[in-house]
Amino acid sequence: MSAPKEPGLPGLLLLRLGVRSLKLHKLRSSLSILGVVFGVAAVVAMSSVGEGARRETLAQIAALGIDTVTVRPRPAPPGQPPAPALPLAAVESLRRVVPGARSVAPVRLAELPASAGARSAAAVVVGTTPVYRDAARLQLAAGRFLVDLDVSDRKRVAVLGSAVARALFPLEGALGRTVRLGGDYFEVIGVLEGRAAPRGRGTAIHARDLNRAVLVPLPALDRGVDARPDGVDEIVFRAATPEAVVPAAAVAQALLRRLTGEQPLELVVPREILRQRERTQRIFNVVTGAVAAISLIVGGIGIMNIMLASVAERTREVGIRRALGARKRDIATQFLVESSILTVIGGALGSLLGLVGSFLIQAFAGWPTAVHPLMLLAALAVALAVGLGFGLYPAWHAASLEPMDALRRE
Amino acid sequence: MLPAPDPPLVTLRDVSRVYPHGGREVVALAGVSLEIRAGEKLAIMGPSGSGKTTLLSILGCLDRPTSGQHLVDGRPVEGLDDDALSRLRNREIGFVFQACHLIPQLTVAENVETPLQYGGVPPGEWRERALHALARVGLAERSDHRPGELSGGEAQRAAIARALVGAPRLLLADEPTGNLDSATGEEIAALLDELHEHGSTVVLVTHNEALGARARRLLRLRDGRIESEARA
Repeated sequence: MSAPKEPGLPGLLLLRLGVRSLKLHKLRSSLSILGVVFGVAAVVAMSSVGEGARRETLAQIAALGIDTVTVRPRPAPPGQPPAPALPLAAVESLRRVVPGARSVAPVRLAELPASAGARSAAAVVVGTTPVYRDAARLQLAAGRFLVDLDVSDRKRVAVLGSAVARALFPLEGALGRTVRLGGDYFEVIGVLEGRAAPRGRGTAIHARDLNRAVLVPLPALDRGVDARPDGVDEIVFRAATPEAVVPAAAVAQALLRRLTGEQPLELVVPREILRQRERTQRIFNVVTGAVAAISLIVGGIGIMNIMLASVAERTREVGIRRALGARKRDIATQFLVESSILTVIGGALGSLLGLVGSFLIQAFAGWPTAVHPLMLLAALAVALAVGLGFGLYPAWHAASLEPMDALRRE
Repeated sequence: MLPAPDPPLVTLRDVSRVYPHGGREVVALAGVSLEIRAGEKLAIMGPSGSGKTTLLSILGCLDRPTSGQHLVDGRPVEGLDDDALSRLRNREIGFVFQACHLIPQLTVAENVETPLQYGGVPPGEWRERALHALARVGLAERSDHRPGELSGGEAQRAAIARALVGAPRLLLADEPTGNLDSATGEEIAALLDELHEHGSTVVLVTHNEALGARARRLLRLRDGRIESEARA
């Protein structure tokens, strides 16, 4: 014979009773959650670094274009003569040979001060051809882009990146104005649309911040000391379809090897970088997960410890409640609610601390960090699970006390 | 034996309780038979270790006999699972302990509400019924105090209010005046008498001869057996 199932105490009352009991030992309760607080904080802060890196990669890939391939000579190690440039003729070869390659653009680079009147800005001057617009997915905010005539006539015209335009011409329109790049004067013919700039540093992709670029016709960029006037620093092209990116990159690499005589090359293929990045991310996630597991186990043991102490102290309360009609599961629920309150508070405080930590990492270490909202939700859910999991044994212990023994216990 | 048409509230038949203790067995009760009818007032007396408290625990369904039968309303308790026993304690039995046993972190009113909380009473009725029970023991104005702020007599009255708030048919009191001075003890004894006069069935364990003598029926235990039974 069994009594009909009854719901037990209402949830709100359980929460109130739990808070009341935990307040009996404010200091002890606070100390007991420290393990969970720091565990959750460490995980939130660590995962914010991972998430920041992930967003950074995505932003850079978006800036580069997922189907854009960049080829450049591998930079020489410090102290050695710089790597030779790529032959300009390779551009034409690539255009003809590589299947699915379009908008093959040569790129020559120079970091030069840009100035207009009294204003000046640091700029990356990019000497290129009209197809660079498609290869690098550029949008114009005003004016026009380079045309073939600009290149063939070596016209001294420039298209400004949005940041450069803002720095040099903050109040007036830039079109038709003159900017000085190094020693030469250029007429502004266009201004690029601003785009999300890749921030941070030390990431795999050196995405150029095109907001800080000034684009000029390839032959107009005279670097004075250039050893090979027909050399270029980079060749950028775009694959016709996303699927064509990897094979096109492979063909381009093989071709350039032959043309340059086995010169070591660096290929930037965003799609590949994304994959590599994801592999790294997985390793990072495993490490973060291990840290999370260890710290939460440690935190959970602290909770279990304190709950066992609490059950021992309140044995008589258990006896009283049993005498008044509490079932075993009512007693177990009461202690489970208490351990869960502890860990959820710990999880919430830990999340806050983790947010602060992630902010400090960004401020002082300079790593980009980002906290995914789901991460905070997951932190609370995991904290709740720790409370329930590690509260189980103390709760079961309390529930299985014999009512008579519990009442007599001093 | 067929059940009587109107069975006693509680029936014990040849009830024994043996505890294992340090490898030996300690016999707390050895074959006690007893009937308690609704509306009775019964006092149980006897020296320490005579089995009084064990008997009261079995009557209160806090403990189970090692052998023998325990019936409530003619129905055996033996086959009930823990949930059903808890329900029985909640609905039919009110406890008053020697040391009051109020829960210290709850207010007086919350302590009194506790049996209602476990009894499936709608939360909206808790406070009103608790205050009503407190008024019956003359403690209405102390409802928001903590147990630590009450005098011994007040605490025992709060405990009595908690015992009767669920309108149980059986009120069990274990040395209810044991921790009180004689004047306060007298107050509590009078309160129990009053409850009895209003229809409660009261079973009282006491050392106090005067308190025992106030009951209509007095049971004396010795060595786990009923030594004598007197009816006034």
